[in-house]
Amino acid sequence: MRWLTLYAHSRQVPASLATVLTSAAAVWALTRDGSAAPGGSQLPAVVLTAGAMALSTGLGGQDLDLDRSAAIRWAPRRAAHVLLGGAIVGAVLLTVQAVGQDLATTEFVARDCAGLAGLAALGAAVAGGRYAWAFPFTWLAFAFLAPPPATTVPVKVATWMLLPAGTPAATWTALCLAVVGTVLYALAGPEALTLPPRRVLRDRNVSAARAG
Amino acid sequence: MNVRVLRTELKRSLAPWAGVVALVTASTLLYLISEPWSETTTAWTGQWTSMALWTRTPLFYLWPLAIGLGALQGLRDHRSKISDLLTSTPRPTWHRAATLAGTTAFTLVAAFVSLILVGAVQVFAHARYTHLGWLPISLVGVLALVAATVLGMGAARALPSVLTPPALAMGTFVFTAVLARTETAAAPGATGAEPNRLVLLSPAVEKVPNALVTLSAPVHLGQTIWMLGVASTGFALLVAATPHTRLLALAPVLAGAALALLVLPADPRRVFVVDEAAARPVCDGSVCVSRAQRARLAGLAGPGKEALRLLHGALGGRAPETVRENTAMLPDGAKPQWSRTTVLFDFDDGMLAAAEGEEVTRALIAQGMVPGCSPVGWNTFGGDQFAQTVAAGWVLGDLEPLPGTGSAALNRDVIARVRPVWEELMALPRAQQLARINAMHAAALSCEGDAFEVLKGGPSQ
Repeated sequence: MRWLTLYAHSRQVPASLATVLTSAAAVWALTRDGSAAPGGSQLPAVVLTAGAMALSTGLGGQDLDLDRSAAIRWAPRRAAHVLLGGAIVGAVLLTVQAVGQDLATTEFVARDCAGLAGLAALGAAVAGGRYAWAFPFTWLAFAFLAPPPATTVPVKVATWMLLPAGTPAATWTALCLAVVGTVLYALAGPEALTLPPRRVLRDRNVSAARAG
Repeated sequence: MNVRVLRTELKRSLAPWAGVVALVTASTLLYLISEPWSETTTAWTGQWTSMALWTRTPLFYLWPLAIGLGALQGLRDHRSKISDLLTSTPRPTWHRAATLAGTTAFTLVAAFVSLILVGAVQVFAHARYTHLGWLPISLVGVLALVAATVLGMGAARALPSVLTPPALAMGTFVFTAVLARTETAAAPGATGAEPNRLVLLSPAVEKVPNALVTLSAPVHLGQTIWMLGVASTGFALLVAATPHTRLLALAPVLAGAALALLVLPADPRRVFVVDEAAARPVCDGSVCVSRAQRARLAGLAGPGKEALRLLHGALGGRAPETVRENTAMLPDGAKPQWSRTTVLFDFDDGMLAAAEGEEVTRALIAQGMVPGCSPVGWNTFGGDQFAQTVAAGWVLGDLEPLPGTGSAALNRDVIARVRPVWEELMALPRAQQLARINAMHAAALSCEGDAFEVLKGGPSQ
């Protein structure tokens, strides 16, 4: 229990959770009276992306070297962090829907949450928790811009997060992102592909000290 | 900031990555939306103004991204955990902040300018009409990126949390992308489409309506005031140290917004205005095009004069006397306005765009006889095209499909459908033919009644 509390504290979980709740509350306030007609699947996609961006900031940790030197099995914990985070983001939106207006179907929320959480994890594995939000954010911009009647497969893949539930191309894209992102992050950890130069520097110092 | 500092910051900070990310994603977005390979007059590489407007479209995403990346940079001092050490040095805080903000803004602006340069090289090869009226459009875009970076840095310094960059980026994105699609009461007959005044606070241009229009001066002025307010607040937040001064630092952005809303045009139809210089006619005898399309005059003059001669032979005194490009800007959904003495055409019209050689004459005759009555901005297929086919066939003496109507099968369909009408018309005595054609011409010009029905001898006679 104590480990979990400390871990949650070090991964900004309270702040991320507060952000997710705030954005969900804002959506609830916007759609409560039903006058602000929700623009199809855009509003839920924006809310879920905001949630995934908040989640992604916690995928980094305070000190990479300290984390790596810990003698615990990181892989299942990291995977659980991503999956649980995605589930919470979706659950919050579904709860808001339960008390307010219907925005999206459960399948839609589940698919987008899985895909976006995977994308955030992918971003964390590539660039680290601080910069991971740029990945879901950029993809959202692409989805917003592509012409609405998605007909060809590449356009369907590009706009997967806005397509209605049950579109095979969108489901497969989300699934691929979820699996690849979670596995990569779980096995390799944050910033796996962009090692910060200071680590290299420190290693060199250590070897220099040994040589001396 | 001297070059040495810039180089050090480029090596040691996130700034080069910011530029790379901005350039790659923005150019991908631009190629996705602008259909760069199309031959329409509003293509990215068609004209200077269109190019500048197109490069402003990715700002709906680039502007929030610049705020987010600026905020990431602004967190650097907080991350290093040596703020106390830095405050004890005699060098003011904003010195350090300015070098970092300058570097990030520099790379982002460099990305935006390279986007413009890519477009400019292509426009230079295409367009013969060169002018500098497009520069303010791009300069406001550059200013917006700089202001966004500074604001992001200032905000991150005021609220040093790892969540600040994504929250700022997302909040701004909702502002630029979602608000831009809110429906406003626009011109009569049209819903949505036109932006309201609040939307003009976003630097992104949503669409490029026409090659001959440009943003009006009040839009440039209002957006410049707003962006200066944003930049001042960002800078003030960088300097401010106490909560009290931070609250005070919000004053410029609020003042900028208020002032900008006063300057920005309230009427959505004043946002885009016709570029008078570009729309000025260039004529070869009785055939005129706008200055912006001067390069295409040579190919059009011959067929245009031929069409006028044939129309004169067929209609006599009622025939139009000139052919000119339509430079009027009507709101979407409005009823088109045609002239009896002038054949007005549009280079983006499907029929003319697809016409080659001899077909240009046929297309211009069809356009002169039945200019088409679908509302501005709409695309319909039906009675107008049938009437055009018959009328052009009547003037030229043979029934042929019009250029650009689509597939061969569709062309056969259209011909099969209008052939009885054409044969009935040709069987009439000459005076009755002329009377029916004149009635149809009048109905088509005034857009009252269906031209094809009149041609059949229908109710309007």
